[in-house]
Amino acid sequence: MNYFVDSLSAAVELIFSFDADIYQIVFTSVLISITAAVIAASIAIPAGVTMALNHFRGKSFIQHILNTLMAMPTVVIGLLLYGLFSRLGPLGHWGLLYTPTAIIIAEAILIFPIMMNLSITAVQSADPRLVPTLTSLGAKPFPLIINVILTTRLAMLAALVTGFGRAIGEVGAAMMLGGNIEGFTRTMTTAIALETSKGEFELGLALGLLLLIIAFALNFILSWLNSNND
Amino acid sequence: MTKAYQLSNIKVSYQDSLVLDIPELSIPAGKCVALLGENGAGKSTLLKLLAFTSQANQGVISLFEHAIKSSLNTSQRQKIGFVDQHPYLLPGSVEDNLKLALKLQGIPADKHGQFIQQALEQTKTAHLAQKASNTLSGGELKRVAIARAIVYQPAILLLDEPFSHLDQHHIQLLEAFILNFSQQENKTVIFSSHDRLQGMAMADEIINLVAGKTTASPLLNVFHGTLSQHIFDTGKIQIHATSTLAEAHHIAINPQEIIISAQALQSSMRNSFSGRLILIAEEEETVRLTVDCGESFHVMISPESLKNLNLSLGDTLFLSFKSTAVSVF
Repeated sequence: MNYFVDSLSAAVELIFSFDADIYQIVFTSVLISITAAVIAASIAIPAGVTMALNHFRGKSFIQHILNTLMAMPTVVIGLLLYGLFSRLGPLGHWGLLYTPTAIIIAEAILIFPIMMNLSITAVQSADPRLVPTLTSLGAKPFPLIINVILTTRLAMLAALVTGFGRAIGEVGAAMMLGGNIEGFTRTMTTAIALETSKGEFELGLALGLLLLIIAFALNFILSWLNSNND
Repeated sequence: MTKAYQLSNIKVSYQDSLVLDIPELSIPAGKCVALLGENGAGKSTLLKLLAFTSQANQGVISLFEHAIKSSLNTSQRQKIGFVDQHPYLLPGSVEDNLKLALKLQGIPADKHGQFIQQALEQTKTAHLAQKASNTLSGGELKRVAIARAIVYQPAILLLDEPFSHLDQHHIQLLEAFILNFSQQENKTVIFSSHDRLQGMAMADEIINLVAGKTTASPLLNVFHGTLSQHIFDTGKIQIHATSTLAEAHHIAINPQEIIISAQALQSSMRNSFSGRLILIAEEEETVRLTVDCGESFHVMISPESLKNLNLSLGDTLFLSFKSTAVSVF
């Protein structure tokens, strides 16, 4: 018990010492995750809204695929991209392996089905009169999608935050594709895994606490936006 | 006369059930038209087709003499304003809602202020312009939804049950608006209602809908049943008709064509029933009698006839009408 309490207190001290290395890791993590979330959202949200607004053959099949992808283990994505980006892989000449870009691509792919599914649900749970109203007011396909996104913006923001949360907590693909290079591709989760394996439990715990604080802050912002909208 | 709409061979089905079946229907431009029918008669379905927010399974709709193949182009869309039975306002202020309609219709921004002002004044909602849409009362919401539908100055205004769930004050405001919009601005207004009297009082033309089909008869004395060899069986009584339309399941008898008498008449009329007088009601300049002959028949007579017949509730009366007075559909 003492070991845990001592480690916790050392972790809190580390956080408030504003150690540059720790905050470099946090910054890298947040930057990679935000970029991945924004890239994924910019495709997944319009795609999800378009899918929800249209009826076409194979729609339920695509939804099954999306549901399956939501449960796909991150190491599988890491493995597939590793095969593509490794020196002998078809995209090896791009030189992306062990770069933040590779982690961003992996995380964007990982969170895409989550965001798309949440966008579909957001449209389906919106007021059923929304789309007929916009159509009767003359909305063409593109303005219709934009206005549906704007009207359901809080649900879309929730999809973005959920995606970001999933990305920042991801470890498997980040480790395989980023290589955990200090000051370059070391993220909070890969650093926690490394430091804990080295016996540096305090540093791991400090990063874990910061991860929790980020998650809490995101949820707080979302609740605040929701309450302001009400 | 220019036709606002021309419908040909329209069929709409939901889950294998035919909910709208209109072989031919013309709606003239510049008139106030009431779409009358009971709940579930197909009024909303027809209005949504006319608004082009839903599509028929079969048939062609022409808008101002142009057959619409798939979707409306910008200028055609601008000709139609539609207000649903339960209108939905988007989040934001009343003005935001009107502005969005103008943006979606591609109206230049420099005209927005003038158009918005005009629509708000026409619907007497100028004082609500800055109010949040989710704080409006039911009556205010309907008038704002109408303002949003007319803000881009359409030639046609479609209103689905505009008077439902409104208090008397809002009904009067809305009636005045519809008449003014139709007559002074020479616009086509098509509104649905299940209130036959209100529809007849306001509209230049009436479209009666029964079970998804249009009928020329007023919506009185409408019976459901089956037709076989000129006999329509309602399950309670049998009525002679001239039609042999095998798939017909409805008949309507114009109340003006029913002869009422205190004794049985000796005549060539094929239909004769006796029944008990259960209602005497004053209706505009006529009197409506309801006689229970197994089925309830409505008969229109003049106040003088009522006086001459010296009728009281519970009296036994005889109804007679020709088989040609029976519309089968």
